[in-house]
Amino acid sequence: MASAPNSKYNTRSLENESFKRASRDGVNRDLGEAVPRLPGETRITDKEVIYICPFNGPIKGRVYITNYRLYLRSLEMDSAPILDVPLGVISRIEKMGGATSRGENSYGLDITCKDMRNLRFALKQEGHSRRDMFEILTRYAFPLAHSLPIFAFLNEERFNMDGWMVYNPVEEYRRQGLPNHHWRITFINKCYELCDTYPALLVVPFRATDEDLKRVATFRSRNRIPVLSWIHPENKTVIVRCSQPLVGMSGKRNKDDEKYLDVIRETNRQISKLTIYDARPNVNAVANKATGGGYESDDAYHNTELFFLDIHNIHVMRESLKKVKDIVYPNVEESHWLSSLESTHWLEHIKLVLTGAIQVADKVSSGKSSVLVHCSDGWDRTAQLTSLAMLMLDSFYRSIEGFEILVQKEWISFGHKFASRIGHGDKNHADADRSPIFLQFIDCVWQMSKQFPTAFEFNERFLITILDHLYSCRFGTFLYNCESARERQKVTERTVSLWSLINSNKDTFRNPFYTKEINRVLYPVASMRHLELWVNYYIRWNPRIKQQPNPVEQRYMELLALRDEYIKRLEELQLTNSAKLSDSSTSPSSPSQMLPHVQTHF
Amino acid sequence: MEFSELIRTRQAQAELLSGPEAPALRGTLCVTGHHLLLSPKPQATDLWLLLLRSVDSIEKRVAGDSGTITLRCKDLRVLQLRIEGVEATLDVARSIEALSSLESVITSYPFFYRPKGLRLGDAWHFHPLESYYKRVALETDAWRLSEVNEDFSLCPSYPRVVIVPRAVDDAALARSARFRQGGRFPVLSYHHARSGTALLRSSQPLIGPKKLRCAEDEELLGAVLAGARPGAQGFIVDTRSAQTAKQARMTGGGTESKAAYPGWKRLHRPLERGRHLQESFVRLVEACGDLEQSMDQWLSRLDSCRWLAHVQEALSTACLAAQGMEREGACVLVHGAEGMDSTLLVTSLAQLILDPLSRTMAGFQELVEREWIQAGHPFQLRCAHSAFSHARSKHEAPTFLLFLDCVWQLGRQFPLSLEFGEGLLLALFEHAYASPFGTFLCNSEKERCLCEVRTQTHSLWSGLNQSKEQRKLRNPLYVLNPSALWPSVEPQSLRLWQGLFLRQTRPPERSEEVWEKVWQIVTDEKTEDSRPVVSAPEPQP
Repeated sequence: MASAPNSKYNTRSLENESFKRASRDGVNRDLGEAVPRLPGETRITDKEVIYICPFNGPIKGRVYITNYRLYLRSLEMDSAPILDVPLGVISRIEKMGGATSRGENSYGLDITCKDMRNLRFALKQEGHSRRDMFEILTRYAFPLAHSLPIFAFLNEERFNMDGWMVYNPVEEYRRQGLPNHHWRITFINKCYELCDTYPALLVVPFRATDEDLKRVATFRSRNRIPVLSWIHPENKTVIVRCSQPLVGMSGKRNKDDEKYLDVIRETNRQISKLTIYDARPNVNAVANKATGGGYESDDAYHNTELFFLDIHNIHVMRESLKKVKDIVYPNVEESHWLSSLESTHWLEHIKLVLTGAIQVADKVSSGKSSVLVHCSDGWDRTAQLTSLAMLMLDSFYRSIEGFEILVQKEWISFGHKFASRIGHGDKNHADADRSPIFLQFIDCVWQMSKQFPTAFEFNERFLITILDHLYSCRFGTFLYNCESARERQKVTERTVSLWSLINSNKDTFRNPFYTKEINRVLYPVASMRHLELWVNYYIRWNPRIKQQPNPVEQRYMELLALRDEYIKRLEELQLTNSAKLSDSSTSPSSPSQMLPHVQTHF
Repeated sequence: MEFSELIRTRQAQAELLSGPEAPALRGTLCVTGHHLLLSPKPQATDLWLLLLRSVDSIEKRVAGDSGTITLRCKDLRVLQLRIEGVEATLDVARSIEALSSLESVITSYPFFYRPKGLRLGDAWHFHPLESYYKRVALETDAWRLSEVNEDFSLCPSYPRVVIVPRAVDDAALARSARFRQGGRFPVLSYHHARSGTALLRSSQPLIGPKKLRCAEDEELLGAVLAGARPGAQGFIVDTRSAQTAKQARMTGGGTESKAAYPGWKRLHRPLERGRHLQESFVRLVEACGDLEQSMDQWLSRLDSCRWLAHVQEALSTACLAAQGMEREGACVLVHGAEGMDSTLLVTSLAQLILDPLSRTMAGFQELVEREWIQAGHPFQLRCAHSAFSHARSKHEAPTFLLFLDCVWQLGRQFPLSLEFGEGLLLALFEHAYASPFGTFLCNSEKERCLCEVRTQTHSLWSGLNQSKEQRKLRNPLYVLNPSALWPSVEPQSLRLWQGLFLRQTRPPERSEEVWEKVWQIVTDEKTEDSRPVVSAPEPQP
């Protein structure tokens, strides 16, 4: 109920919420069973433990471990499940205390999660009781280290909608009006030979031959050549993405690359320059020369102007998020909250990413100039910038399916290294490749949805669900680093897509205030004054901070339920009516789509 | 009084800039007794009007043969006027300075404002105290309406009638009044029917260094407990720290001793007030308006303004009072020193938390009228200047604004539970500081009587309840929520009230536009909802 009291005085455990969310996900729950199970999920073990809840104190319970989740039920109250955590969110499992350590609840396991929380369990000291729990958790949380399959490959869920059908690159480019007489679709990367981290299908300038592309590829880091991401429907300026040029210390040049950029520039007659946005801070771009990289210099690329966007690298972002976790979990920093938040720099990074994307969008839309975006490899900051700019420019991407397509296109198909950044099923929690780049992108989207409450078809739950399944390993959507790897593993055949779940339950993820507007460019305010910490995500485990559970959406769901009830009543009325009249076609105002339903009752 | 003496010039050519995005408005500028007018050049259809009372500070600069006047308004807007001619600029500036700082109440604009569609007599029809008493009388007979203050002699800052325990007679009230600062003896603020407990407010008892006692005052509080649910305890929420309360004895004040008031337990919840609160407000507005400032330090600067900390303290003290009643079944008396600032903040917020009726449009207006205006919050002193004024007297304090901010936080956390929206809160803020209506004039009912406010001015409530304003003020999503609203008061759950404090640097999608869209969607949905029912064919008999 929207009216549910919620405050520091309220002791209701928040973890119940995550359980409720899971149950809405369409999990088939057998009431006779202790644990809800997905098709394909098998029970491994269960054990009596003490869950050391940082908010409500130690709770005696029984933990159930399946090949997909960890589930905790209290021993005292038989109705309340306390934890329902997909093993995929686990980043680290540590033993705390030893066989001889003293003190209550000092012996057990400490589990670090990727979703801003830690779980602590205390076990009995006698007989190494934690050993098997530790081993089983390690095995199923990190299947890659034990030559086990990731759960997504075992999941046998079925949905009404097939999420793998959502994104079809040819269709998406056709929606953008491509190919046209300046841009063509090439299949040169069909077997991922030109660039193994790019998708099979690319859009390139009409005047560049496949031979040109091959030569350009030699001069771009990891062969990630400039290709089209988005074209403006009216002024035909484009957003092009790539990796850094391999300039190196000696300042190498490549005629083909220079010519290629000029060809891109010439597809736009309105402005005589091509704008290049290098996402990195200037210093970092210079430093990259030492490792063979660099940026487009004035003397080599005449008709371009280059801007640095000052966005820091994956390591800085990882450390920043770590600091955020330090101030929100398990205890929230109370005094000088805002100053401590400032010291994490998280919002500042969000600001820089948004500011960069605004510049890209503005250049294309108002500046009427084509834009080339890159960072070092072009799969982290570049993906953030192009996808956010596209979200600002193109209202299609603000619908539920449009956003799925945007993620599928700019992130998944263009090789954002999800496997490395998230570490699916991998035990190396300290891997320097891990970084919350995608989370940062979703945070930026949330900031935009806050500033434009009617512009997005999806709600906050949609974004949180995406983030939950970014880690859960229940779906194949975010597995692997690039399209070629996904194809080798036959991910679309062997796993279920997250979009299947979402599109089969669309009402749950809809923003009730969405008003569709075509051709409206959204310019969010990226000033610190207008950015805020996404409390409902970062601090959601803390029951004290919890706001009302989205009362507006709750109300919306109630209204939808009310509508369904009315429709049902209408059906029943028609049923009695048509039975009485024994001629259903005479009922005057019956909506035609109801009729088949009515007939099945007979 | 002749305003014309103060008006140095009647007309000038000027250009108005009312914000970074708003287009400039050019035309003829006019200074009248109460207003600044700008009529755009060719036709004077689109008249721009500013109440001079709402100017908080004025800054003039001349260069060449023109000048610029920056007007910082009490509602936190900043306006720039570019005026042709140096003399004209200086004259306009001097006129505005003189006219905006007039202190006389009876020559203020509300006494001249005669809007179409409103008749003077209609304006003051509602008597929230009497109507509230009717409600209480249905719930319990432990309380009575007393006219002991009929001529304001007992307590100059109380209204003519107050609600007091039935068991206490007027003579005892009079003695209790003498024992309380400013005569503010304990009166009923809210009766919580579900728990059978009461919320009271007063000023501090005049214990003084000699630890004086007053039998009637003790009797009064005893009667409160006796009239409540059997076995009820009492809590005295003192809005000062224990130390400050103790120190107050040196100047004749103090706080209730445990021995003298059996059954009552004292709790100290220090709330910031007076000058410190005003300074916090000034710093916040300064920070919000400082566009030059490096944005990297915005959060720590916001932190150092302490405004949100005050919001938190106010809300959690109100929660404490409300919790004492609803969860512990106790009666609660709230007071600080004078009992007309932070006391009212706590009692009014506690009612909003507990009482669903106070969250309706009409109920909230009654609450403001009963718990702020009639309860004697000295609006004229507290709201004489806003955050920009350089002339600093020590009476200003944004207590009422703090209340509105707390209500806004409640509305943000419970978006369905308040019948009114941000629009009403903004309007109340603006009108409290400068208004064509008489509602917020003067410091007490007594003064309002002397000035004949009720007969000579229009009430804000009748102005607000004119239908064309409704959509801006009402919450389209409102559904009656019968339970108490327990807000989360952690700093992470509180936000800067952007719609007010950042009104000069607003986000691109204006909240009014969003509000309007939501209204449309909600009204559409209602018709859609009813459609199936309407179109359902009646079952044949």
